[in-house]
Amino acid sequence: MFSFVVNRVGFLKDIPLFAIIFDSLMRFWMFFTKPELLDWIDDLEENVTQMPGTTVGIHKYGGTEFNYMGKEFAHVHSNGLLDILLNKELKQSLMTEGKIKDHHLFKNSGWISFYLQNKQDLGYACYLLNKAYDHTKQKQNSIQLDTI
Amino acid sequence: MSLNKKLFKVLNSKILQGILIANIFAFLVIGIQSSLAPKDTGILVFSEFVIIPMLMGIITAWFWKDIEIRGKQITGYSILNGLIAILMSFFFLGEGFICLLIVSPLIFGFIISGAFIGRAMFKKRNQKLNISIGSLLLGIFIVDSLSDHYHENMVSDEILIHASTAEVWQHVVAFDPISQKENYWLFKIGMPSPMATTVSEHKLGANRKCIFSNGYIFDEKIVKFDVNKNLIFDIVDQPKDPEIMGHIDIKRGQFILKDNGNGTTTLIGNSWYNLHVFPTWYYDLWAESITRNVHFRVMEHIKLLSER
Repeated sequence: MFSFVVNRVGFLKDIPLFAIIFDSLMRFWMFFTKPELLDWIDDLEENVTQMPGTTVGIHKYGGTEFNYMGKEFAHVHSNGLLDILLNKELKQSLMTEGKIKDHHLFKNSGWISFYLQNKQDLGYACYLLNKAYDHTKQKQNSIQLDTI
Repeated sequence: MSLNKKLFKVLNSKILQGILIANIFAFLVIGIQSSLAPKDTGILVFSEFVIIPMLMGIITAWFWKDIEIRGKQITGYSILNGLIAILMSFFFLGEGFICLLIVSPLIFGFIISGAFIGRAMFKKRNQKLNISIGSLLLGIFIVDSLSDHYHENMVSDEILIHASTAEVWQHVVAFDPISQKENYWLFKIGMPSPMATTVSEHKLGANRKCIFSNGYIFDEKIVKFDVNKNLIFDIVDQPKDPEIMGHIDIKRGQFILKDNGNGTTTLIGNSWYNLHVFPTWYYDLWAESITRNVHFRVMEHIKLLSER
């Protein structure tokens, strides 16, 4: 369903609130069909909020957005699809582990996608989020140093 | 713990307060809006299904902002919030079960979104932003409520029948009761479906009656009677069913018979309706789907009778 909407009617995401409402309906569905997934998403959120300088918000295309100093480094959709921003080198090295995929839309970018399918995936998702956090923090700090 | 203490604890709970106040707010706004409406048009504007549920979600988020509450709990309590609103609509606004089933994705979608948007808003502790969002939603609500709303649509379907136009015509003007099983899910769960049609006379100006499965009757008047070619009828009276009352007005129906020259007939069924519920991008999907299934139920029956 998610893939169908993203691939076939993805242009609708530009309608204000459409993607957020769609994500809320996925959340509604998951509440009844796979409630543990919402627990895992909450666990991810708690994990991220413990990292200094992070905030959690709503992603413009639906889901929960994780930011470092206001800069997004990951977001998770309510069907368990975790999109994470890494750099291309890091992405390549992690790809060899076979657990992550190209971002479901931006294949040639530093973004990757990882599906939370069971509780064991939570540990790896936190590991990926830590990597993305470190990467974004490093990048932000170097930008700050450059401006000084 | 005594019963009084338990009751006090429940009533004092921020979760419950949020849900109660959100529902009271929604019904007050709908009540005020209905009483200020210039005339009883029965129109339900998009704000009632979009802005109010979203504000309900934001109100709950305001009550829940200082308590530890996880996303899953927000989802669960928002679903409860929506269920209460839907139940109140059933008991106090007289809405039908199927009608509420159709509206529920909008209600749940916007209440859950409102709760999460509210959570993000109140986390920022930016009063200017909160007031701006609140004012924007209120502004949209007022403008939408005061605007004229009119939507008319026509749905057209066709079917190939292996019979002559003269044979098909006999079953178009009036037909015996439909005995086939329902195959559209809304008909299966109780939405009335067409069962039979009677006619007072086979001529222009005659009265036609379309009888539905629950006994409801649509009174129609034949306004074009072009034998073997074209039948148009205006709907002059329709039942006050809670599922359709005030939400949709079927205005006119038409059957066009096209002789294909090879012993077959293409039967085209057209229906015109006015929709009184908005947003049309949502409700028109349902209205078209229902009308289409009414068409096919009747036209498949005409095909069966004609090809017999």
